[in-house]
Amino acid sequence: MAGSHTSKIWRKTVVITVLLLVLGFGVVIGNLVRWQIVRGEELRMDAVDQSLQSTSLTPMRGTIYDASGSKILAQSATVWTVALEPRSISVDDGDDVKIAQILSEELDVDYSTVLEKTHQNSYFTYVKRKIETDLRDRVLERLESEGVGSGVMMVEDYKRYYPYGTTASTVLGFTGTDGQGLAGIETYYDDELTGTAGRIVSAKNSLGGEMPFDYEQYIEAQNGYDLVLTLDETVQSIVEKHLQAGLEACGAQEGGTAIVMNVHTGAIIALATKGDYDPNDPFTLDPAVEEKLPEKADEAVQKALKKEDEELALLEFYRDIAISETEKKEAEENLRAFHRMTAEEISELREEEYDKAYSEAQNKQWRNKAVSDTYYPGSVFKMFTASAALESGAATLDTSYTCVGQWDFNLPGVDPISCWHAGHGLETLSDGVTNSCNPFMIYLGQLMGPETFFKFFEAFGFTERTGVDLPGEAGSIYYDEDELGVTELATESFGQNFAVTPIQVITGICAVANGGYLIQPHIVDRILDSEGNIVRSAETGYKRQVISREVSEQITKILLKNATSESGKNGYVPGFRIAGKTGTSEKIAEWEQAKLEDPDAVKQYIVSYGGFAPADDPQYALLVFYDEPQIGTASGGAQAGPYFAAIMKEILPYLGVDAKYTPEEFENLAASTPNVIGRTIGEAKQILEEGGFTWSVEGYDGDNEDAQPVYTQVPSPGTEIPKEGNVALFVAELTDEDYTEVPSFVGCSLTDCEYLANLADLQIVITGSGEGYAQSQSVDKGARVKRDSVVTISFVNDSEIETAAD
Amino acid sequence: MAENRRTVARGLRRLPRRGQPTGVVTRMDGTNVVLRRRAKQFTLFRLGLGIDMPMLFLILTLLSVGLVMLFSASYAFAYYNYGSSYFFVSRQGMFALVGVLLMLVISTFDYHHLHKLNIPIFGVAVGLLTAVLIFGPLLKVNAIVPNRNGAYRWINLFGIIEFQPSEVAKFALILMFAHLISVNGPKMATFRHGVVPFFGILGLVDGLVILEKHVSATLIISLIAVLLMFIGGTKLRYFLIIAGLGALALSAVIFSDSFGYAMDRVQGWLDPFNPPADVDTWQTVQSLYAIGSGQILGVGIGQSRQKYLYLPEPQNDFIFAIVCEELGFIGALIVIILFALFIWRGVYISLHARDRFGTLLGLGITFQFGIQAILNICVVTNTIPNTGIALPFFSYGGTALVMLLAEMGVLLSISRSAPVEKT
Repeated sequence: MAGSHTSKIWRKTVVITVLLLVLGFGVVIGNLVRWQIVRGEELRMDAVDQSLQSTSLTPMRGTIYDASGSKILAQSATVWTVALEPRSISVDDGDDVKIAQILSEELDVDYSTVLEKTHQNSYFTYVKRKIETDLRDRVLERLESEGVGSGVMMVEDYKRYYPYGTTASTVLGFTGTDGQGLAGIETYYDDELTGTAGRIVSAKNSLGGEMPFDYEQYIEAQNGYDLVLTLDETVQSIVEKHLQAGLEACGAQEGGTAIVMNVHTGAIIALATKGDYDPNDPFTLDPAVEEKLPEKADEAVQKALKKEDEELALLEFYRDIAISETEKKEAEENLRAFHRMTAEEISELREEEYDKAYSEAQNKQWRNKAVSDTYYPGSVFKMFTASAALESGAATLDTSYTCVGQWDFNLPGVDPISCWHAGHGLETLSDGVTNSCNPFMIYLGQLMGPETFFKFFEAFGFTERTGVDLPGEAGSIYYDEDELGVTELATESFGQNFAVTPIQVITGICAVANGGYLIQPHIVDRILDSEGNIVRSAETGYKRQVISREVSEQITKILLKNATSESGKNGYVPGFRIAGKTGTSEKIAEWEQAKLEDPDAVKQYIVSYGGFAPADDPQYALLVFYDEPQIGTASGGAQAGPYFAAIMKEILPYLGVDAKYTPEEFENLAASTPNVIGRTIGEAKQILEEGGFTWSVEGYDGDNEDAQPVYTQVPSPGTEIPKEGNVALFVAELTDEDYTEVPSFVGCSLTDCEYLANLADLQIVITGSGEGYAQSQSVDKGARVKRDSVVTISFVNDSEIETAAD
Repeated sequence: MAENRRTVARGLRRLPRRGQPTGVVTRMDGTNVVLRRRAKQFTLFRLGLGIDMPMLFLILTLLSVGLVMLFSASYAFAYYNYGSSYFFVSRQGMFALVGVLLMLVISTFDYHHLHKLNIPIFGVAVGLLTAVLIFGPLLKVNAIVPNRNGAYRWINLFGIIEFQPSEVAKFALILMFAHLISVNGPKMATFRHGVVPFFGILGLVDGLVILEKHVSATLIISLIAVLLMFIGGTKLRYFLIIAGLGALALSAVIFSDSFGYAMDRVQGWLDPFNPPADVDTWQTVQSLYAIGSGQILGVGIGQSRQKYLYLPEPQNDFIFAIVCEELGFIGALIVIILFALFIWRGVYISLHARDRFGTLLGLGITFQFGIQAILNICVVTNTIPNTGIALPFFSYGGTALVMLLAEMGVLLSISRSAPVEKT
């Protein structure tokens, strides 16, 4: 009995023990196999992931310099983002109120919003992004003096500054809130500018603290590379100033653009698009543009309402003409079902349209027209047709043709193409270009035939993107060789019926100027690392030779003549040997499209002037173009030419091109007034006489001129006045009587201008040829200026220059 | 003689006091030699009367490995929270030293004395459990019963030692059951003697422990109790009562409001990487990351990544995860084999104990140890849902370690009387 009881205990114990060991440890070991061997690697990776925290070290974005290497166009600076750590704000000490008080006062944020944030149940919340360092210091100081120990965080960040504001804005672009490039060079060179974020890769414990061994690795942030542009801020400013003046004068509604390029290297010295923006605040529209937006939205709403009316009328019409009962019923049913927009829907639509218009306007102001828009080059293209004809041997300088005012294809059903002129008569090739004669160009085109024409079209780079280092370069639109019929060839010969980008055209002009080499346009000269070592330099090689040096020189001569005396003379600048060609083209395709919608649509034009200087040793090419001018007759010579001249006149001396005057040019030269302020009247007279000026003394009757110092002079020292112009010397402070009102010169002939100036006691300096009529004046009419001041008047002559060719 | 002794329930009463004659042997020459009980043997290595050397070896090995792993697992946590990497290991080491000495002393103590100590020990255990409930949820005297994560399980005596009364209760219950079973003998088969007192005692202890909201301790105590009763001779059919009560309790849970949460807990257990929103499986996930990171050979001792505050309190219940991470599958297997060997040796000693009291006491201690180890590893490997169970010899807890080693002392004391090969 006892024995059996004992053995029972034994048996039971053994069974339980075996079960415990086999089941218990079996399951456990099985699970260990599952986690450690089957899924081990996966779990290990997850574990590493969660502990390997890398703290990103933000690199400083590279600086963008202009060609001088010292002027900063874009630069990043340290700013601070203010954030709260609500969890560590001590409400009991009243820190929440203090923080809200200080932040709302200093940062221009709402008091109650901040107060609410301090009570949030979170570890981190933003208050304000990107504040300056001195403001941050002030906030921290105040917090400290109020005894707020914790809860406010300042996170380091960078902000992009563009010290020159709108200057070159469409070229530079801008950056987004996270510092990424959103337009222009900022986008194109985003990778280079951004640099490489550094990282502290460290195994962190779960609180984010660093583990005290082994796993840490410090990778320093590689600051972004600096860019040195070929663009020169001085030139850029000059170009923008004149471009803007021209834009206002002609009222081009689609803006305007101008490019200055080194003809040998392809370096872009200036590239301006007007209708631009301030990259420091890229999302804000020009108030003048913004003002018009509600109008645009209204227009769209009206259009929608009109469409609705039409639909309704149509349904009513169907009902009225319905014959059978069922038809009538159906029509009435449709009419009942027709939904008219409610007032609410209309206002919604208006809002929608407004937003649409707003973002369209933003995109427009950011757009770099010079590379992103295509246009019809018009007569500027004639230099390429002529070059191709000469180079291919299809024509020589002696080739002549008689223009009768139109080109007749002699083909059934094909309308003739008119010249802008009633008939130039017998012309040589040179005359054909300087007259900007369309039939002559058609003639050259037909002489070459589509094959040769297209070969040169391609060689000049009009079929491919230039590859300039700017984002969003548009491709050109043209007829392929096998699509070039007789009419297509004819219209393309004088620059119509195909669209190219301004950057393509100026690259072509450079080829004409530099001896025939198609160069690579570029805007970044070199890329520097943070130590200033050159990482990469721009390639300045040429792609191919398009025309021979000889043809290049021949065409240059023709263009020089054209710019000096013929249709292109508004681009003339004394002393600088400008070679240039005007261009006026019609937006025909757009017009036809617009006519479908609105029969009253007006045909729009593009006016341009392209050329280079100096003709005897070409250095710089310039293209100015305005899109859809609204004021005056569309004419490249009249509307783009004067600004081309004004730009060239100012930038060439700066760029080191010396003026060489012909004797007659020298005669008309304006001169700069010497400084005689503080000298005695006697001395002043002597200096002025030596400089070839006349003089007058105001407000002094005494006879001791050698003792009386000059108090002030008009015009001020350094002003350009006509050669032998007058300098008035004042011995006392100017009184009201010494001022005069500027009359309006615009529209007057030279004689009239001189008369008006005389009347108002002003001096005038004439730009342009002085023929034709005054187009603009440097001082607005009605302004009060000192007597004897100088007003510069731009003259245009459109009697002998082409207007739009039809 | 030996046979007789083992079948006599209260062996202590049969043993004469030290120095008293135990019997008289008449020599061939007619002289009588009075046999007396020999003086207490302190010899450790003596066959037959010494302590079981394999068991001692296993205990010391587990203790050493446990201490090393405790240091490795705890030093980051200790560094961040207490400023010293040695915070845990130095305390645990001191307690281990005290514990080992206590174990050796207790091993020389005849375990039959525990028959007499049975009632006082049980009384103390129940008293302590009641004290926890009185000073804890009722009076909220934090100095005596600290609130840890919303539960009251610890008691602090005079600010010196702090321990869980449920640990004492485990031993008290084992002792009480071993005593009752050995006294009852064949009467265990009856309802009156084999069921009523046991369930009464178990109900009392479990009731007090469950009021502490200490599910894992309740589970372990119940398991040990059931095993001992079963081995002791309680009829199998009576266990159906427990099963029925268990089912009743379960259904009560199912129909209670917290059922949804319980299901979410289950969900979180089944797929810890995508737990329901209200279930926090962080600890389990981190444990699995640690185990997985170890792979076959481990990342090397001291190289654990998970102990850097990812795995909460790596020195406590989840220390085995760090063992897996640092020593790999191989290392974990070796530790498991050590535990298995311990259970085997514990059972072996118990079965060879001099009497049934020793057998049941030894089995109770061995099973308590084994069940805790297995359940702990089950939790760490997410085999069962997460519940707080410490790993014997490894997890931090000085008083618990001392108590554990004291129990080992009892086990060794039993081994002294067991006629087994002890080297």
